Amino acid sequence: MAAQARPRILELKRVSKAFGGLQVIDGLDLHVDEGEIVSVIGPNGAGKTTLFNLITGVYAPDHGEILLDGRSLVGLAPHKITRRGIARTFQTLRLFLNMTVKENVMAAAYGHTKARVWQSILRTPGARREERAIHELAEDKLGFFGQRLMGYRWNQPAYSLSYANRRRLEIARATATNPRVLLLDEPAAGMNPTETHEIAELIGQLRTEGGYTILVIEHDMHVVEGISDRVVALDHGTKIAEGSFEAVATDPRVVEAYLGTKAAATK
Amino acid sequence: MDEHGDEKRVPEPPDAGNRPRIGVDEWVARSGERITGRPGWTGQLARALDRVPPAARLAVVVGLTALVPFLTDNDYIVRVAVNTVLFGLLALGLNIVVGYAGLLDLGYIAFYGFGAYAYAVLSSEQFGLHWPTELAIPVVVIASALLGLVLGLPSRRLLGDYLAIVTLFFAQIFVVLTTNADRITLPWNDSPTDFTGGPNGIAGIDPMKLFGIQFGSTQSYLWLSLAVFTLVIVGLHLLNESRTGRAWRALREDPLAAELMSIPVNRLKLLAFMFGAATAGLTGTIFAAVQLGVFPQNFDLPLLITLYAMVILGGVGSLPGVVIGAIVISVSLELLRDPDNARLLFYGAILLGLLAFMRPWTRLAAVAAGTIVFGVVAYQLADWIRPAWVSGSIDGGRLASLLEGWVVHPEYPTRFGNIGFVLLITAVIALSQLRGLARTLVAIPTLYLAVFVWENRLVFQPSVTRILLLGALLIVLMNARPQGLLGTSRVEIV
Amino acid sequence: MDVDFFVQQVVNGLTLGSVYALIALGYTMVYGILKLLNFAHGEVYMMGAFAGYGVLTVLGGPLALSVPVLVLIGLMLAAAMLGAGALGVVIERFAYRPLRNAPRIAPLISALGVSFFLQSTALLLFGADFRSYETYEFVDLASGIHWGPLNISVVRIGVILTSFGLMIGLTLLVARTRLGKAMRATAYDREAAAMQGIDVDRVIVATFFIGSLLAGAAGVMVGLVFYKVYFLMGFLAGLKGFTAAVIGGIGSIPGAMLGGLLIGFAEAFITGYVSSTFQDFFVFSILIAILLLRPSGLLGRADIQKV
Repeated sequence: MAAQARPRILELKRVSKAFGGLQVIDGLDLHVDEGEIVSVIGPNGAGKTTLFNLITGVYAPDHGEILLDGRSLVGLAPHKITRRGIARTFQTLRLFLNMTVKENVMAAAYGHTKARVWQSILRTPGARREERAIHELAEDKLGFFGQRLMGYRWNQPAYSLSYANRRRLEIARATATNPRVLLLDEPAAGMNPTETHEIAELIGQLRTEGGYTILVIEHDMHVVEGISDRVVALDHGTKIAEGSFEAVATDPRVVEAYLGTKAAATK
Repeated sequence: MDEHGDEKRVPEPPDAGNRPRIGVDEWVARSGERITGRPGWTGQLARALDRVPPAARLAVVVGLTALVPFLTDNDYIVRVAVNTVLFGLLALGLNIVVGYAGLLDLGYIAFYGFGAYAYAVLSSEQFGLHWPTELAIPVVVIASALLGLVLGLPSRRLLGDYLAIVTLFFAQIFVVLTTNADRITLPWNDSPTDFTGGPNGIAGIDPMKLFGIQFGSTQSYLWLSLAVFTLVIVGLHLLNESRTGRAWRALREDPLAAELMSIPVNRLKLLAFMFGAATAGLTGTIFAAVQLGVFPQNFDLPLLITLYAMVILGGVGSLPGVVIGAIVISVSLELLRDPDNARLLFYGAILLGLLAFMRPWTRLAAVAAGTIVFGVVAYQLADWIRPAWVSGSIDGGRLASLLEGWVVHPEYPTRFGNIGFVLLITAVIALSQLRGLARTLVAIPTLYLAVFVWENRLVFQPSVTRILLLGALLIVLMNARPQGLLGTSRVEIV
Repeated sequence: MDVDFFVQQVVNGLTLGSVYALIALGYTMVYGILKLLNFAHGEVYMMGAFAGYGVLTVLGGPLALSVPVLVLIGLMLAAAMLGAGALGVVIERFAYRPLRNAPRIAPLISALGVSFFLQSTALLLFGADFRSYETYEFVDLASGIHWGPLNISVVRIGVILTSFGLMIGLTLLVARTRLGKAMRATAYDREAAAMQGIDVDRVIVATFFIGSLLAGAAGVMVGLVFYKVYFLMGFLAGLKGFTAAVIGGIGSIPGAMLGGLLIGFAEAFITGYVSSTFQDFFVFSILIAILLLRPSGLLGRADIQKV
């Protein structure tokens, strides 16, 4: 008897995107079920970050559909898409460097708060309550990472953080938008083995404790192996394999994409 | 254990339990201050001032300014104070647009002019309207905000450079419109309607009367503008510390990331534009009432560069910074009007510059002495070659008499002054290319040339000199200290 | 319809257009390489006009020339072009180069400062009065082409020909020479060009030099055709030159030429058929329309940014 199918929270149907003459994404079908952790792998230039940009509305797809909970996201402004429940981190960090750690996270709470300008200026009770709530939310999200981003760190400018802490802050900031789906773009990039291990555990915790559905772009296969429920391999903008990590890692097409035809032949 | 029997203090990993690490955490927490804080006594002074709560600082500044009418009988000085407060208001508004939202709005003065003209139209004989002030001011402010919205809408999608040009065009169009809108034939009228009084502007503006208080004297307007200033700066401060302010700052940092973190970037840019426009419009109404008239040339481009110089000097994004910038530049420009005061300013600035950049003090003393000697020699030489070269005289007060016999002052200063100016520019360029001993040596004739040009040309033409100096100030600021006096040095992703 | 009037406006448009094209080229070339709007470019043009006037005065003035007319014009152009070029190089060196890695707003503010500094320098050195080239004193304006409705004075013919000559020269330079290739490479991707061994600083200096040179020539030519030079002339001409560059597609050299001609024609026809007071307004509206509807301009590439 089949287990009750989990709802597809995010779905891409035959999405295509070209820049100039270059077809970056070509007829891509992808779906993520609620509560899943799906990893997207593929060689450089396969279109992975473009995929994230399409989902979050930075680019509009030329063809195809992108659905969140069955509702189309195509054509919406990025900030609306974020409010619908999708948040992301960036391959090259994009923090608000001159703002404090806490402010970075608090800023992301804009979408689900509603104090108006006049309410903020007059410091109405409602506005003050909301401010406190935002503070607590930020402290809560930052607390996810243990003591690293807590205490005195809250008031330090973001540029004073180490690289690994910056990556963590970016994740914290994304979670402050109260999303349902998290898109993590190479969260372990540039980290040493200890930090990588920590990030992998963290992603798992994000799912179990935070309840987020997570779509991850990653190059480090140890991380992919450790966290993924399902792996999707892309090359030249199309899906070339999908399934469990073992299935995808040994798929000849995937090996060929990464290592070339000869390597695929010897596998 | 070391020989004293204490446990060796080894830094513990950051999350080894929640044990407080006495002294270490605070030291780490203060590291940012140490890195960015200014060294020396200026740094200590800045940190001491920081500890004074902002409300107290504001109270002191506003209070002192309010006392000006009691400290002097000179109406002109009170008027200068009013102008300074108005500049401060304008700088606050510009700070929102440039500092919070990061939009380079070069058309800002058009909103100021619009506010002034709108109030003039509503409260003068131009159309026979004499609206009560309680009605006129809010209407003008809202209208300015709406104008900001209208002009901001097409501007949202423009990148920095384009926005700058487009807004610059706005400013130009505004001047053209006001100068020419005195002969517009409306379809339902036979004769042309005079909207703005053309080049002669609108005169005979009603004095303000708010809630029973009649404003008329310069002092009364000083207190009114101070009250408005206080309201605006407090409002802006509160706004900055709220969710909107955070969103603005995020937008300034990285618009794309902000947008993806649920911040409606375009809407916030418009909001900033509107706030700036409203502030400028409000300031315009007070300006119109004080001056009792408005003319197109009140809102020309030199005003724009003055405003920008204030905001940049004070530090973009910093509320106290732009206020200080406004005070410094406004007062300096007033000093420039009168030759004696201008000399004070000029030589004071040179001295400050030398003190700041010529270290060690032996070098400074050498340059100063060298310049004096150079001057004496040059004067004697010029006198010997041709007496007409030194037969001009320097009019002025005590400072001027000090300079007689030292500064070469020809009979016909203009031509020599111009040549000197060109030579001075060349000398400054050369100076920046040299290093070490050569630089110190070339500095001497350069300084003398500067004084020469100043005394022979610049000191008599304040309107030109001020633009010259403001332009140079902007260039130098951007090169040397882009964050201005009180801005924080920013880390930017290029 | 008054054919004579129409043809006259066409001639006006062509003359204005070729001048605007020269100014626009300076903007577009600098933007292509540095992604920077050189606000001060208009003032360089103004200084070129004054340089030409200076040469005219030194050589006897419009009424008592000491050299043949052609020599005079040649010298004026040479002085203006070289002087403007040098000015452009100095501006780059002091106002822009130190800010190459600063946030975008810094060189813009610096440019604003330079623009006002130069304007007030001109005011200081030359006064607020209009100076006039008084070309009619040393050139017989009646000579030229008079063929049916077409009436062009020899001065305008010269201006149009010289402008086109300069534009052709520039196109050849960019397309055929090594420097031109280096300029194109640097405009495309500055870092990659540097890694290929191109001296990026030198290329930038050359770009500023050439752009300012063209602006200086434009200044002299405007003086010859319209006579009046004054310290504020750079502001409006600069704005229109920039509009022309944007219309044609900023960063595109043929675009700047096309844009310049378009703006020239637009201005001529608006002045001729509507009114001269609101011609700035009209040009401005074109700018807004283009920026909203087709920001990459007519011939420009849409800039694709990697996120």
